[in-house]
Amino acid sequence: MIRIRQTLLAAAVAIGSVGVAAAAELPPVIHFAGVGSGFGLPFGQNTFAVAQVKGVMEAEFAGTDVRLDWGYFTGTGPAINEALANGQADFAQYGSIPNIIGYANGLPTRILLSYGGTNIFAVARKDLPIQSIKDLRGRKIAVQKATIIHWALLKALQANGLTERDVTIVDLKNPDTFAALAAGSIDAAFGASYILPLRDQGIVKVIYSTKDGGAQATGFGAIVVTDSFQKRYPEATQRVVDGLVKAGRFIGEDENREEVLRIWAKSGVPYEIIAEDFAGKPLRAQTNPLIDDFYLAQFRDAIEFEKQQKLIRRDVDLTAWLEPRYLADALKRLDLENFWPHRSADGLRQSAAN
Amino acid sequence: MSERSLIVPRRRLDRRRLRLGAAPRWISRLPALLWPLALPAIVLLGWQVATTRGWLAPQILPAPAAVVATLIDLARDGDITSNLAISLWRIVSGFAIGAGAGIVFGVALGVSPRLERFLGPSFRAVAQVPSLGWLPFLILIFGIGETLNYVIIAKACFVPVVLNTAGGIRNIPRQYLEVADAFRLTRTTRIFRLILPAALPQVFSGIRLALSHAWIALLVVEMLADTEGVGYMMTWGRTLFQIDVVLAGMVLIGIIGFVMDAGLRRAEKRLRRWVPADG
Repeated sequence: MIRIRQTLLAAAVAIGSVGVAAAAELPPVIHFAGVGSGFGLPFGQNTFAVAQVKGVMEAEFAGTDVRLDWGYFTGTGPAINEALANGQADFAQYGSIPNIIGYANGLPTRILLSYGGTNIFAVARKDLPIQSIKDLRGRKIAVQKATIIHWALLKALQANGLTERDVTIVDLKNPDTFAALAAGSIDAAFGASYILPLRDQGIVKVIYSTKDGGAQATGFGAIVVTDSFQKRYPEATQRVVDGLVKAGRFIGEDENREEVLRIWAKSGVPYEIIAEDFAGKPLRAQTNPLIDDFYLAQFRDAIEFEKQQKLIRRDVDLTAWLEPRYLADALKRLDLENFWPHRSADGLRQSAAN
Repeated sequence: MSERSLIVPRRRLDRRRLRLGAAPRWISRLPALLWPLALPAIVLLGWQVATTRGWLAPQILPAPAAVVATLIDLARDGDITSNLAISLWRIVSGFAIGAGAGIVFGVALGVSPRLERFLGPSFRAVAQVPSLGWLPFLILIFGIGETLNYVIIAKACFVPVVLNTAGGIRNIPRQYLEVADAFRLTRTTRIFRLILPAALPQVFSGIRLALSHAWIALLVVEMLADTEGVGYMMTWGRTLFQIDVVLAGMVLIGIIGFVMDAGLRRAEKRLRRWVPADG
């Protein structure tokens, strides 16, 4: 039905006057979709949240009739893939694992930029003698499978000489994970900072964090646009990327740190948890939007992971998937080419760092 | 008159010829057999047209052939058989517990008016909360695991069996009970020789309802809180954005539900044959 509507619209534009065609350069509404924190609040985290709350994106479309619609999906990656497929979302900010799953199954998206890394934590029941990842051998671990957290779990096992055959992985959604830990039917769980309140309730202890695991262990994702949108509205796409880069600059400036953390807390994750999540790390490095060698290496690793785990049935051509020209254009015009560090593939060396 | 008497035998002859002729009886019944298949055929055709015309993206609605291919793939990989075996075992166990307990409790409620007054209203109030509503609470109590599955399915079976058993017993004609009183039957004899056989048809309706509730409860619990089974297979398909797997799961569920219901209908028919008509 959406297709029909789009075809009709396209036909109307083609038949109509030059004036109509010019008006069609900007869409009437742009839908943004991000990961919801599960608190039912109309706010999220990362770049989208700041672009929304600080009015950065609104400023990009000031003086136009374009309406901006921000949606944060509690169903996370799978729900966002569905939203992109049925036209509920034009731009989406979500983890690389569902991202790749969507693209490999024919969802026509293009990667515009990165939104940076997500810290991932492992927690274990307080009453068990589990102190580190190595102690997880033979244990029952909950994770929501086919997410970036699943990827991080296998990375952490691998770094500690374990494989997934040494443990039992149970596929649970976040609320069920909390219940299962409380009921004692699982031993440990992996999650992003949303899992930390459980520690404050005295149910679990944190045994690992990707903050100690180095850049390569950190979760990551992409901001994508549907291919049809960027082809039809290149002007609007550029404005959106400009807005996201400006939001990224705001996040990266040290004097805004406190304000940014408060904005992210609007998602429902307590401020203290977010502050702890990012403690001791400059936000600029954490939210690096660049498509550099490190980002590409991370994405290749995730694609390889999905093939091994049989999460995708087809290979993914990363080069064809990327659409970095909007980002390059924005960085150049805004004179931000050297604002963020360009990282080498192993994430260790940085060049042109500010 | 004479004409008519001539015509009648000819008609009989025709009918006999039809029966003995080359065309067997099922051919003449073919239209009636095909009629229920007409709607599925139309839906299938519409589905095929919608996909070939590209009305919906293939990520949203894959072609019927793709779904069939996925079904075959899943069957060949053993995904269907292993998940189905798990799901069916859960149904059998949960159903046995729930329906068994339901018959006992239902008979108690039906036989004893005092117990009915004491427990009936509370039971009916609690029964209003659907299995899905119990799930978050039961997860906290039992955790994630097989126990949770059995409890949810047993609960789904328990309620309709209790209601129908108690109702069936209450509907037994008074005369039967008066005869039993006249014969001074013992309580046990009354229950097993009179009450249960007389209430059997309605008990059986309860059991049929229980099985369909069990099937629904199983899929819900598997989709929400399990890591194996047909319901989980569908959730996993959704996670992997493979809608063909989800649709294959739906086809499978439909077929199994249909077969189970048809089997029970047949069993019910057979049962009715040896139960008195007014029972």
